Amino acid sequence: MRTTRSIRCVLAAVICGTLSSSAARADGETIAAFTKNQVDPHFEGVRAGVAQMAEKMRATVKYYTPTKPNNITEGMSQLEDVGVTKPNLMLFMPIDAKAQLPTIKRLIESGLPIINYNDRGGDAPYLSFVGQDDYKLGYDIAKTLFDHLGGKGNVVILEGVKGSTTGDERKRGFDAAAKDYPNIKILASQPTNFQRLLGMQTMENLIQQFSTIDGVIAAADASALGAIEALNAAGRKNVAVVSINGVPEAVEAVKAGSLLAIAEFDGFKIGCVATAVGLNAIRGQSAPKQVTIPGAIITKANYAPWLVPYKNRTCPTPDAYIAK
Amino acid sequence: MSASVPLQRKSGIAQLLGAIPGAGLLLILMLALFTLVNPRFVSQTNLVNVGLQTSLLLMIALPMTLIILTEGLDLSAGALLGLSGVIVAEALLAGWGVFAACAAAFAVSAVFGALNGILIAYLALPAFVVTLGTMGLMQGIALVLTNGDPVGGFTPAIETFYRSQLWFVPLPIVIAVALYAALWLLLYRTRLGNYVIAIGGNKDALRLAGIRANLVHLAVYVLGSAIIGLSAVLLIGRTNSAHPTVGIGMEFEAIAAVVLGGTSFEKGQGWLFGAVLGALAITVLRNGLNILSIDSSLQVVCIGLLLILALLIDQARKQFVRRAA
Amino acid sequence: MTVPATLDIRPSSLSPDAAALLGRLVLIVLIAGALTAVDPGFASVSNLLNMLRQASLLFLVASGLTLVIIGGGLDLSVGANLTLSACLAAAAIKTTGNPWYGVAVAIGAGTLIGFANGLMINRLRLPPFLATFGMLWVAQGIAYWFMAGQTIYGMPMSFRYFGTGFFLGVPLPIWITLVVCLACSTLLHRTTFGREAYFMGANQTAALLSGVPVERRRLLLYVLSGLTAGIAALVYLARLNAAEPGIGEPLLLPAIAAVLVGGTSLFGGSGNIVGTVLGAILLTIIVNGLNLLNVAATWHPFVNGAVVLIAILADLALSRRRPGSS
Repeated sequence: MRTTRSIRCVLAAVICGTLSSSAARADGETIAAFTKNQVDPHFEGVRAGVAQMAEKMRATVKYYTPTKPNNITEGMSQLEDVGVTKPNLMLFMPIDAKAQLPTIKRLIESGLPIINYNDRGGDAPYLSFVGQDDYKLGYDIAKTLFDHLGGKGNVVILEGVKGSTTGDERKRGFDAAAKDYPNIKILASQPTNFQRLLGMQTMENLIQQFSTIDGVIAAADASALGAIEALNAAGRKNVAVVSINGVPEAVEAVKAGSLLAIAEFDGFKIGCVATAVGLNAIRGQSAPKQVTIPGAIITKANYAPWLVPYKNRTCPTPDAYIAK
Repeated sequence: MSASVPLQRKSGIAQLLGAIPGAGLLLILMLALFTLVNPRFVSQTNLVNVGLQTSLLLMIALPMTLIILTEGLDLSAGALLGLSGVIVAEALLAGWGVFAACAAAFAVSAVFGALNGILIAYLALPAFVVTLGTMGLMQGIALVLTNGDPVGGFTPAIETFYRSQLWFVPLPIVIAVALYAALWLLLYRTRLGNYVIAIGGNKDALRLAGIRANLVHLAVYVLGSAIIGLSAVLLIGRTNSAHPTVGIGMEFEAIAAVVLGGTSFEKGQGWLFGAVLGALAITVLRNGLNILSIDSSLQVVCIGLLLILALLIDQARKQFVRRAA
Repeated sequence: MTVPATLDIRPSSLSPDAAALLGRLVLIVLIAGALTAVDPGFASVSNLLNMLRQASLLFLVASGLTLVIIGGGLDLSVGANLTLSACLAAAAIKTTGNPWYGVAVAIGAGTLIGFANGLMINRLRLPPFLATFGMLWVAQGIAYWFMAGQTIYGMPMSFRYFGTGFFLGVPLPIWITLVVCLACSTLLHRTTFGREAYFMGANQTAALLSGVPVERRRLLLYVLSGLTAGIAALVYLARLNAAEPGIGEPLLLPAIAAVLVGGTSLFGGSGNIVGTVLGAILLTIIVNGLNLLNVAATWHPFVNGAVVLIAILADLALSRRRPGSS
């Protein structure tokens, strides 16, 4: 990784301005893989999973990511543009499910097979949905924290993006778990947009507001990591923080003990399985309507596999997750 | 600053070069390049795509041209787009008719345009600051109305409208062309248009000539906002839902399109058609890079370089014309 | 065009600049008082320091921008500059293990971007809005490409001191703000360069005719804006303990708002750096207060927009009331 970056450093100076096409030629089908931004390492995990499985199954991938993070109109234009290039398969995650649904439906009508992955893309005839159960992830991780606290204490919630399926479902899970623990008091619940800086500043303000905080539930790693920085700076050492995702940086934090646990939302596995399900489907196998990848709870006891860089991980096959 | 040179006095090559702005040259180059690399670029479906995407950008870039001609700027355009969309959607959900809902969005947009216009024209406050402030107001109202969630589930008539065609031409493209024609007539064939251009050049002289320059200035903002408010209908038709923050950032894209086309921030120098060239250049670049599947990070760099390159071409062109004269 | 405030030579006990600053200070104290009345916890030393630290991060991005705007320019690339500088610095620190390389890289990259902006505007005669808007995209794109979807995290403790450390009980970012503010203030009010910057901003042609080396001054202004973006990048990096290619983008408009709320005019030629400090504090205290009052986050943009409008309207009222001004 580090060497790659320094190579990039040198290359930056050399080929600045020249356009290098990123798509490698292979002889199989072409896949158009959509992700939501270039900022969150979760999506790098997705892209890495797609890349590995596609290579294994001899297909070519082209990636589409808006130039501005999570930009809806750009996402719309990219969908329309991909309709022109006619890939053999599309892997699609919505930036906004409602907004992109009309275009997706038209693409499916035009005969393009589409797998919906990572985030639910609304009610369209997708070949399959490959992802995780965000409600369950939220519920499980909140429960892990509440059990750790012995069923009582003051907890704050750092939500994701309001209105996004992932953010809202996770929040629903947190709330459901809190209902099961009458002695857990939710002090505040504020949106932090899955962002690090907002997670840190929101936490800084919450620290000022509440003298006792026992636990923090974050809807994503980045917000949790920001919150941990704020807690450390304020000298609040005995606060248990949990989050969802499992990007390498957060797993390091679990290893170091600053993060109690993470509910695994594994972009790499989602990318692998979505690609395999999609390619199998267009090669004539029947596709399961839905593949739900279970999310483990990553703790100090079992973190090791999630520290492996994406490139060195091995793609799981869909069979592991399809109910017999 | 260097003195401006009117371009009409030139002849021959100089005149030809003077007639094609940087954005136009780049557009021709990009069209040739993209077509060579992937012939699908000029397929009918893709041309329709480019047309649709350009027309949405134009619906903001055209009124923005008027505003920039008056030495102004409207940073609130993107936020207004989101707010108007939300108002149309909420009104439809509340059982209003399509025309009533559009009228509501139109009215709200015009009011905000008037707010911008009064602060800028009558109180002589800088447009950048005023519209930065009203941008916050509009974005905030849209967020509060929707609690930050997208609004959907309203009548499919809006989407049908967006998808409909007039003699095989998608309606949004027809509307953009009609808007261009209307604004062209207004700007170049009416006295009001002369005043608009004069405001950018010399508002005081206009006032001394007995024209109510402030009123004209205000009218530009009201008209601009009203157009943007109505184009929100097209945007929510495209997505069949209204999102409070959907337009954020579009104002910068529109400003870039206008200036790429050769309209200057100073002295009311510019032309309406420049916005069309600029919007086409930006859309074609994005579309072409998508068709060629260029890495997203390189796309970001390319957009920046194109902007600078187009401006450079314009500088070189002006110098060449000046020397040839 | 109105007469720039700095050329105002009427004998007066309170210069308009000082009056504007005082007005902002009073406003901050009023808001702080109201918030303390609602929640006494607001006035605690720890909350005040917390707020000042948040404000100082915003100020650092806005400081160089203030200089550029006073000189009649604009720099839209500060946010992207911060992103790229932070990413490059983080990579340098991680590969070498030596924080000083990171400091050098961030300051070097930031300054270089500022230099490029200045060159584009001077030599190629591009309008500042567009030259720096183009630079925004270029710097952001290079940052995306360089990071390739990853984050760089885990800075050494010695480096993180810049962001999280305390000196004499006060967080280090606040000290850095003080130093930067003092340096900018000295530059603006105690040097020929500063006087010329105001002159250029107020009337560029006149400045040129009276022998001000406008191009060289302008270049320096953009370099300084890049430099402060680089410094801000270091403080952000130390504070967040990680670099990601999305940190700077959301900072651009708040930074411009801080400059404008601070009373610096976009027409150039007036304003000062202390105003920007107060502007940053004002914008921060309001978010802090809204959180304290448990106002939903959806209201924040509305209130921020209202503050910007109120600030310029108040300045207008203030300047109209004084006799002799048009």
